[in-house]
Amino acid sequence: MATAVASPTFLSSAFAPRHHRRLTRLAGPRRAAPVGLAVRCEKSDKQKRQPLSALVPREQRFMFEGDELCGPDIWNTTWYPKAADHVTTEKTWYVVDATDKILGRLASTIAVHIRGKNEPTYTPSVDMGAFVIVVNAEKVAVSGKKRSQKLYRRHSGRPGGMKEETFDQLQKRIPERIVEHAVRGMLPKGRLGRRLFTHLKVYKGAEHPHEAQKPVPLPIRDKRIQKTG
Amino acid sequence: MDYMEGGKLFRRSSNWKMNKGKIFKLAKGFRGRAKNCIRIARERVEKALQYSYRDRHNKKRDMRSLWIERINSGTRLHGVNYGKFMHGLMKENIQLNRKVLSELSMHEPYSFKALVDVSRTSFPGNRPVKKEGLAAIL
Repeated sequence: MATAVASPTFLSSAFAPRHHRRLTRLAGPRRAAPVGLAVRCEKSDKQKRQPLSALVPREQRFMFEGDELCGPDIWNTTWYPKAADHVTTEKTWYVVDATDKILGRLASTIAVHIRGKNEPTYTPSVDMGAFVIVVNAEKVAVSGKKRSQKLYRRHSGRPGGMKEETFDQLQKRIPERIVEHAVRGMLPKGRLGRRLFTHLKVYKGAEHPHEAQKPVPLPIRDKRIQKTG
Repeated sequence: MDYMEGGKLFRRSSNWKMNKGKIFKLAKGFRGRAKNCIRIARERVEKALQYSYRDRHNKKRDMRSLWIERINSGTRLHGVNYGKFMHGLMKENIQLNRKVLSELSMHEPYSFKALVDVSRTSFPGNRPVKKEGLAAIL
């Protein structure tokens, strides 16, 4: 793509296949380009743009003129992730040990990482977050009297079908559900939120089956997350 | 002065009313009977035009808040939050707008770190940089 657009009327004939006829759109207002004008993409600030040869097949390159020859504009349009930017198999996996961590603070950090809000490539409509594994979920802590007083409610849909249980009853029964319930309340509700929730993996003991994903320890910035005393 | 376009007959008159042809042209891609039956399509097209008017104005707001969110997460990787970062930039009279700052935070991490340092020297008062933030960048 090093050919300068010096010709005022047509693109370089290297772009268009010779047997095609020029479209009428090229007969529009002719650009009076001075002889020494170089295509702007030859300057350093546009070198990040992908050259057109990488993106557009040869037959269609005649459709592009002027600045578009350098490739799609990345500075004047807000970046939106393409499919290659959020491939599930290349996402980071984090692991966190829930032993004696305050439930809400832990859930908040997890939700931030699952949603992707800690990265500058955050996009609300796209899943740009990471996976999080929680181990030792049965040892998660709460402050105050919540252990005996915090209620988890569910309703079967029928009249009189509400069921309540306290934190420690649920912890004896299904300890993973406590962390899941907390994180699910902090993720967005909707189709994308439900997909994000599947990126959370909670386990009861200290073992998890995801060693193949090589999880890294979750970076936690909250100082009050560890229960003391 | 009638003409065919897209399989529908368009009447060209002095005041071009929203006749059936124009409505169905705008109702392409709608769900169910809203793309086929005029009574339903007319309502849905009116609503669609209202939404598009409203959202042309909302889009500018939404984009700006997206840029701010991206700048926020970019600066927090360096230990500075958005408010203090922008205050520092304003003090130094750096007039980069939020769109450009968000693109820098995504595509030019070293330049962005330089900006964060400028802001930090101009307006200290952020917590010291933790190792995780730096190790994540460098």
